[in-house]
Amino acid sequence: MRLSDRIENEIVVLEPKGKIMGGPDASLLNDKIHEYIENNRKKVVIDLSKVEWMNSTGLGILISGYTRLRNHQGVLKLANVTDKIQSLLTITKLVTVFETFDSVDDAIKSFK
Amino acid sequence: MQKPQISGNCITIPSNQEFLSDVDMFIEGILRGYGADESIIADIAISVSELVNNAIAHGNAQNETKNVTVEISKNSDKVSISVQDEGSGFNPNSLDDPLAEENLLKEVGRGIFIVKSLMDSVNIVPSPRGTKITMTKTIK
Repeated sequence: MRLSDRIENEIVVLEPKGKIMGGPDASLLNDKIHEYIENNRKKVVIDLSKVEWMNSTGLGILISGYTRLRNHQGVLKLANVTDKIQSLLTITKLVTVFETFDSVDDAIKSFK
Repeated sequence: MQKPQISGNCITIPSNQEFLSDVDMFIEGILRGYGADESIIADIAISVSELVNNAIAHGNAQNETKNVTVEISKNSDKVSISVQDEGSGFNPNSLDDPLAEENLLKEVGRGIFIVKSLMDSVNIVPSPRGTKITMTKTIK
């Protein structure tokens, strides 16, 4: 997995790429979220458009980010959820936890 | 053994998650050779990654002197994949329900549930010499 990040309209946008399956790069996303929380940026959108697939480790990373932000009065939203990831969110009932949007723009607008 | 060993349709890795991507490339390559479509390849790849993660972390307890062996075969349109660790076995009935309200925000504990959801069959055989999990999926 690779990860890029940017600020768009005061919202943090994280864009992981590739497969999220665990291993050495699994902590990248969590570390980055933690870094933004430390810098008092607590509104985060994760753009999943470039994630080929993820397993339960990937879901665990999303949950960790969600709970960590929530514990710091922040919010995590998901954008561009692919069919494969949507299917995982549905079978694990995590679809009831995460707010999802069809685009990063829609996710950013939802913070206003 | 310090790095993955491949023999025919079988790959063996030391218990270190840095080798997950080697297993993934090996399995996905064989599945493409079988003519499986990309969605089915993803389902199987996700399932293999779950079982290999479990074998490394829970079966072999991250002990790099213990190996994880993954073997794939095809019979007609049905692909069979086994993942074998060298741990002391585990009780598949001891797993928590990941859909229970109190478990929904847990970061771990969904692996086997996801495998059972994505694959056609999953057979877990624990033994004192290691756990072998065999799963199947029709690819066409």
